[in-house]
Amino acid sequence: MTQLVQALALGVLIGGVYALLAAGLTLIFGVMHIVNVAHGAFLVLVAMVTWWLWRHTGIDPIVASVVTTPLMFGLGWVLYRGLVVRIRGASASMSVLLTFGLALTVEGVLNVTAGNKFRSATPGYFEESYRIGGVSLPKPQLYGFLAAVAVLALLYVVLTKTWTGRAIRATAQNPDGAALVGVGATATAALAFAIGTATTGVGGSVMSVLYPFFPASHYDWISRLLGIIVLGGMGSLPGALVGALVLGLAETLTATYGSLRWSTLVFYVVILGVLLVRKQGLFGTRLREDVA
Amino acid sequence: MRLKQGGPHGWPAVSPCSCHHRRARRGRRRLRRSPSAQSTNTDKPIRIGISLPLTGDFSQPGTQAKRGYEVWVNMVNAKGGMLGRQVELKITDDASNQDTVVADYTRLITQDKVDLLLGTFSSLLNYPASAVAEKNGMLYVEPAGGAPRMFERGFKYLIYAQPATAPKQADVMLDWVKSLPADQRPKTAAYPTQDDPFTRPVIETLQAGLEALGVKTVYSTVYPPDATNFQTIASALAAKKPDLVAQGAVFEDGVGLVRSLKQLNFSPKVLFQTSAPSNAGQYSDGVGLANTEGVFYTVSWNEKAKTPLNEEFVAAYAKAYNGETPAEDAADAFAAAQVLQAAVAAVGKIDQKALADWLHANSVETILGKLNWDATGAPQSQFLLAQWQGGKVEIVMPADRATTTTIIHPKPGWK
Repeated sequence: MTQLVQALALGVLIGGVYALLAAGLTLIFGVMHIVNVAHGAFLVLVAMVTWWLWRHTGIDPIVASVVTTPLMFGLGWVLYRGLVVRIRGASASMSVLLTFGLALTVEGVLNVTAGNKFRSATPGYFEESYRIGGVSLPKPQLYGFLAAVAVLALLYVVLTKTWTGRAIRATAQNPDGAALVGVGATATAALAFAIGTATTGVGGSVMSVLYPFFPASHYDWISRLLGIIVLGGMGSLPGALVGALVLGLAETLTATYGSLRWSTLVFYVVILGVLLVRKQGLFGTRLREDVA
Repeated sequence: MRLKQGGPHGWPAVSPCSCHHRRARRGRRRLRRSPSAQSTNTDKPIRIGISLPLTGDFSQPGTQAKRGYEVWVNMVNAKGGMLGRQVELKITDDASNQDTVVADYTRLITQDKVDLLLGTFSSLLNYPASAVAEKNGMLYVEPAGGAPRMFERGFKYLIYAQPATAPKQADVMLDWVKSLPADQRPKTAAYPTQDDPFTRPVIETLQAGLEALGVKTVYSTVYPPDATNFQTIASALAAKKPDLVAQGAVFEDGVGLVRSLKQLNFSPKVLFQTSAPSNAGQYSDGVGLANTEGVFYTVSWNEKAKTPLNEEFVAAYAKAYNGETPAEDAADAFAAAQVLQAAVAAVGKIDQKALADWLHANSVETILGKLNWDATGAPQSQFLLAQWQGGKVEIVMPADRATTTTIIHPKPGWK
């Protein structure tokens, strides 16, 4: 029983962090139909900046997201205005090419400036746990989870309760309709891209404590995150949350009752199963396929 | 369709017959060269073709290997080169990709017509790359790639420039356990390992060896290379309380498991990990310096080893790269180049078959110690058993290469 509770608790904590890492990716796809392959590289970039801040100023890595989040928001805005806007309306494969190029650029810059080394932030609590009965909750995992919940809640409030959020959702659902009622498509898209990128501010900070990383780590992360948002339904924020929890629980339950070896397979089998029944994923809507 | 043509990765298999024709054609081409052209040829630098994973998953060892090769080439050229000619490296990036590495070596051999080859990094990439070299009859000295299947193909031109192949890597750890008095030996053991061609054979042979000594296996599991969360393995371990934990760890997984064990406050009496603890600064940063105390690992090279040229290598590396200490991967690449250099010096000319034959029949002094090979190119030496002691790495076995006589046992609890 304790074993089951332990596996469930860990699965939820891990899943929460995965949801945070995937949130920006799905938001950007939802609004612009851009598959941002550079999302993983942005996470690694933030993890590196966070590590550097922690190492040289002693500032707590998760708290450091107060600095990194606005920086990533600005970077997202500039990238959209400077580059991404040029491929608006082009096919999705163009966005993959462009953002893959961005990912390689970030990887290369990190290689040259920070060095091709594994790093991990190890604040005082990184190896401590809370114990409740026989169940242990690792502190970094728990703090990461709480940060994830806070960001996802904030994102939810912004998207559902503010005018800006409504504009973003309207653009996601029907760009032409949104334009008709006075929502500026470019400004909204830039904002969505910037917000999506800003989530990597907290995500990367949490990552720097939980997982050792190096410039090329982003390949592993982007494949995992894409799996999560495909399962949840591309573009759906609640979908990303559910997809992330499924991955977290698949990892811990398979490892506890089978072998960790099967965890990745189990997750992708779940994705395949879901896509066979619902090809738009759990929470996804079918893409509009307007006939020109 | 391409696969049906034969060789791995869709490359057409070359029958002995077509090989023969190719050699004949090459012979005719050589005959057509005028004597004067040949004499200018000897003034040209000797070109060594290398592909390395400078980007992608293996970019870390790839970058270190590049540095190792470059330190070597600068040292060789400063001393007059090889066969009186300067040496030039032609390094290309294979992006950690099997198809690219095949294309790279094919181009280096057939288009760039390099004089010699040196290997790339990881068994995954060396496996197809060495096949390209073999088909073209070129000596292939590899600094990494110790997976058993590398040597099951009966290649004549493959030479592995580390002290031992993966299944033999932990023999020295087993020797240490054997050397313990019966009451101090571990009674139970656990074996988590990454599903990796270089770590699994190490752990599997260690497990078999320890079981033969009467050490009971209480847990063993194989996890995928992309596993990032180790709490479940750690909690299984904490429940079984094994005396010895031997992990087949590449890097992140080694750090991840130690962190998770620490979170559960379970510290085994003996902790052995492959690879991960050898990344000195990165490992101690990852797990916390105090938690490294007593951790065992096996390694091919040590910066303090009194092997010929080792001191010069460490100094030249530090001078070239901001005072850094070389990683093991850089040392392995340097040693591979030393092996190639020794063969060229002994044979006195660049004749691929003669070079390979000489290496199969002789031993070479490298910064890793003396290396010699069997007919398949598998090395016949022994790895070093290293242990973290007081925040530094010491070599504890074998006795003739040890840097200390102290061995910490049992491992102290986490700090």
